[in-house]
Amino acid sequence: MSTENETDGSVLNGVGQLNGHSSEKPTDQSSSNSKLLVDIGSTYFKVSTAHSIEQHFRDFNKRILDDLMHKCGDTVQRFDAQDIHICSSANGGLSTLIIGLTHSYSLKYATNIAYNSGINVIDSILFQDIEEYSIPSDLIDVVIIVGGIDSNGGMFDDRLHAYLSKLNYSNVVYVGNAPDAATLSKSINQLVVLPNIIDDRLHIVEKHLKDYLTNLYQEDIEGKEDIKHLYEITGNQIYSTPFVVNKSLPHIHASFSVTDPFILLDIGGATTDVHYSKDLVSDNIVTEQEHDRIVFKKLGVFKSRQSLIFTAENNEYAYELLMHLKVTENIYKEHSEKATKILMQLAIFLVLCKMSHYRPAYVTLKLLSMNSIVFTGGITKVLTTADIEDVVAFFYRKIMNSDHKPVTVLDTQYDIWTIGAKEQATCQ
Amino acid sequence: MKVVTGVIGNDIHVVANRLMDLSLNARGYEVFNLGVNTYLEEFFDAAVETGADILLISSLNGEAEGWGREVKLLKAKYKNLDNLVMMIGGNLTVGSGNAEDIVQRFKSYGFDLVCHQIDLNTGLDMLEDHMRQSSPALETTGA
Repeated sequence: MSTENETDGSVLNGVGQLNGHSSEKPTDQSSSNSKLLVDIGSTYFKVSTAHSIEQHFRDFNKRILDDLMHKCGDTVQRFDAQDIHICSSANGGLSTLIIGLTHSYSLKYATNIAYNSGINVIDSILFQDIEEYSIPSDLIDVVIIVGGIDSNGGMFDDRLHAYLSKLNYSNVVYVGNAPDAATLSKSINQLVVLPNIIDDRLHIVEKHLKDYLTNLYQEDIEGKEDIKHLYEITGNQIYSTPFVVNKSLPHIHASFSVTDPFILLDIGGATTDVHYSKDLVSDNIVTEQEHDRIVFKKLGVFKSRQSLIFTAENNEYAYELLMHLKVTENIYKEHSEKATKILMQLAIFLVLCKMSHYRPAYVTLKLLSMNSIVFTGGITKVLTTADIEDVVAFFYRKIMNSDHKPVTVLDTQYDIWTIGAKEQATCQ
Repeated sequence: MKVVTGVIGNDIHVVANRLMDLSLNARGYEVFNLGVNTYLEEFFDAAVETGADILLISSLNGEAEGWGREVKLLKAKYKNLDNLVMMIGGNLTVGSGNAEDIVQRFKSYGFDLVCHQIDLNTGLDMLEDHMRQSSPALETTGA
């Protein structure tokens, strides 16, 4: 699974699991007998053949390629470059700032496309109030400007230019109404103009912006010093891990007893990815995609440990959860197997909070309608089904005031990542 | 002329909504139909995105009474909707009530035109009259 979404190696060692160890798994001889699938993350990398999956804790003193070849060189050398498929979430992702006309359409549609392209949304600016927003000090990878249907022009004025002149950004893309495109492309340097993401019936048009952002993400991955060396061993494009995992979701029923609607949580070292059935959202976005995804960049139990603890300290129920788990806040200071286990349980709770009405972040899911909750990534090597169900039940009782109990499914053999990677490899 | 229309709140009277869509189209309006179960903010946002001249809200289950009270407050947050013509029609109250009182109440909520239990064509005639009075040029150009 996602490598940013990995766990502390000491814990995995402690429970006698996968670190540096290969596990035999059922093979699908017909689909990818001759393919090698590699997932690079912030904490671990995984290497999957038709016959086995290996997982290795990364050596941060080495380049990723050197580390990979040192630990799995024999396996890698058995495959041609065309048969090696790599995905990575180790690059941290891109950031975007979106300027749009309304919350219900332009900002919402662009935000949805950005998240589904693996881009983190730093801020959303409502154009009519643009002068009231502060200017982010960080470099923004891409600014998205959007608004209006094609028969409605003249929406943007000098206030946009004034704001952009103060902003530090690398790319700027316009996906709004057609009449304004000509004007803005003359006045904004390096503006990329793409077709409107809002059609004449106020429906979303994802393709062009999604392709652009996905390509930008790919370029970013390719440009990363550590990652670009991996092109020495593969003849295929390196994709982001959440993108690959999302590809597997329509096929998940073939391998797991999952009842729709479901969410998939990939909690790991640096980030937490949430993939969810569109049936769990009440909104006005109609797309062909059945599952959306969102990445919580600072919720992880290894690289993002401190921000996870900070989030927990600001959640009034977290203390109660610690009591329920029979530990105190001193656990935050510990670096033990038990501490990592508790942090993972906290992460589950905090992510569910963020997807609920209690602490809404971008999207609020209808969690009482959710029938299954699937866990993948390093978490499945540390927590048992009982550990997870305990926290999920606590969440439903405290936050949702309900005894609802979605079925917990653990992807202990990284089948979901493998399905997605195979799917992606087949498409290439 | 552009019209944003739809059914407000948790109201799924889709047949009435479809009839309104057809009738408005037949009268030459450019219609943006948001369908059933539409929230007030989505109506205003759609008016901004489309540059609509008219916002026509329908309600059959009486929810309009609750939502109507929010109209002025919410509309005031938008900086470009001063010229938007606001119309509401359907069954605007729960149970029975005096039509004149109901019309006055909804006008006080910020609607320019209120059609309580009036048939569709009569209501749309009222809209045309209103638009002609507010924009005499329409007399020659039609909707």
